[in-house]
Amino acid sequence: MGTMGLALPWRARISPTPRERGTRVEPSEPFSGGSSSAAADAQSEDAALAAGCRSGDLRAYERLYAMHGARMKNVARNVLGNPVDAEDAVQETFLKVQRSVASFRGQSSFVTWTYRILINTCYDARRSRLRKKEVANDDSEETPRPEPRAPGAHPSLRMALERALAKLSQHQRDVFLLYEVEGFRHAEIAGMLEMSETASKNTLFQAKKNLRQMLEPPRSSGAETR
Amino acid sequence: MTMNVTCSDRERIFEDGTAVEWAALEAHAASCQLCAEEVRAWKSLSIAAEELHDYSDSPSLWPRIERALAEEAARKAQRGQMWNWFSRLPRLSIGWQTGLAGAFVLLLAITGGWIYIHRPVGPADNDKSLLKSSALKEVESAETVYERAIDKLAAEAKPQLENPATPLLANYHEKLLVLDSAIADLRVQAGLNPSNAQLRYQLLAVYQEKQRTLEEVLEAKP
Repeated sequence: MGTMGLALPWRARISPTPRERGTRVEPSEPFSGGSSSAAADAQSEDAALAAGCRSGDLRAYERLYAMHGARMKNVARNVLGNPVDAEDAVQETFLKVQRSVASFRGQSSFVTWTYRILINTCYDARRSRLRKKEVANDDSEETPRPEPRAPGAHPSLRMALERALAKLSQHQRDVFLLYEVEGFRHAEIAGMLEMSETASKNTLFQAKKNLRQMLEPPRSSGAETR
Repeated sequence: MTMNVTCSDRERIFEDGTAVEWAALEAHAASCQLCAEEVRAWKSLSIAAEELHDYSDSPSLWPRIERALAEEAARKAQRGQMWNWFSRLPRLSIGWQTGLAGAFVLLLAITGGWIYIHRPVGPADNDKSLLKSSALKEVESAETVYERAIDKLAAEAKPQLENPATPLLANYHEKLLVLDSAIADLRVQAGLNPSNAQLRYQLLAVYQEKQRTLEEVLEAKP
């Protein structure tokens, strides 16, 4: 499949020197690129957040929001397709964290647990929106239709990617968004989506293969013969 | 020592390659046009994904969340106060707690037994759909009154109908016979299924039609 008349942009629009993000390879240690002290800092920060939220300290929630609010909203926006629903999902997530933090036992990091709640909240919101559409006999697409965003560097590239993402399966789309857009590690995604790390890697690989097929321009015959 | 990779390793490295394998693939891509294009396209997807990265500020979101959290905390505190009331009860040993629980169960059993023994057993009281039954009785008595009124009307019209002076009256007579037959059928069905409101409505409609017909007969008096 082509790009519906959009000359995508592998060569024309994207800088020929790929950034580090393009070859993100996960190390075996828990926190990418960081020393063990950085990992320990992150762990203690996570534990402090969990303890603060458990004790009902609103400042802990504020800190959680300051650290992850924008990212949470972006995740929700990419899953749900519009900023209003995304903000509702983030608010609902904070309330769910407050209601159930007492049951958090630390099997995963507190932040990963929070994102898992966010993803589930987004799924619930999406399902309820679909049910409402079914009741209203609306035959619009199942996948979210993204609303306009602030203009980026490559608006046509973004639109092409959004259209292609909408055609992926839910799992492939979510893993792609969490890994490539939000920069989570496979271990974290595995925790959020309740899958294995290997499944997360494989799902990302399949998602990228499908996206490539949808977005790539016709390959030159010279390259084909090599 | 550098690692050697070939084109066939490319997809595996894309899926789960280590940093060393990636470096080896890029070295290989320097001399392989197909792999170079594939690697560039693969990386381009990651760069394109950054276009979906929008961490714009939402100044009203945190105040909204904070308010919702505070309200939820206040509700939780209210519920907590209620539970505190129970916690103020004197702490009892396990033996006392077991004894009290046993006494409570015994009290419940006695109360339940008493209610069972003294439960009302009359046929009218056994009716579980009391409201339905009373409504049904009202409908039936209203029907009886209505039927009597129509019978009076029929008695008035009887002489004309038995010896119809005009073809119109003969037609009315035929129509009334059909209506009487329909009424009889519906009454049989209503007797089998007295709570069926639909049958009652049909019966009422036929009665109304009979009433109209009788009125027309009386008006058509020569």
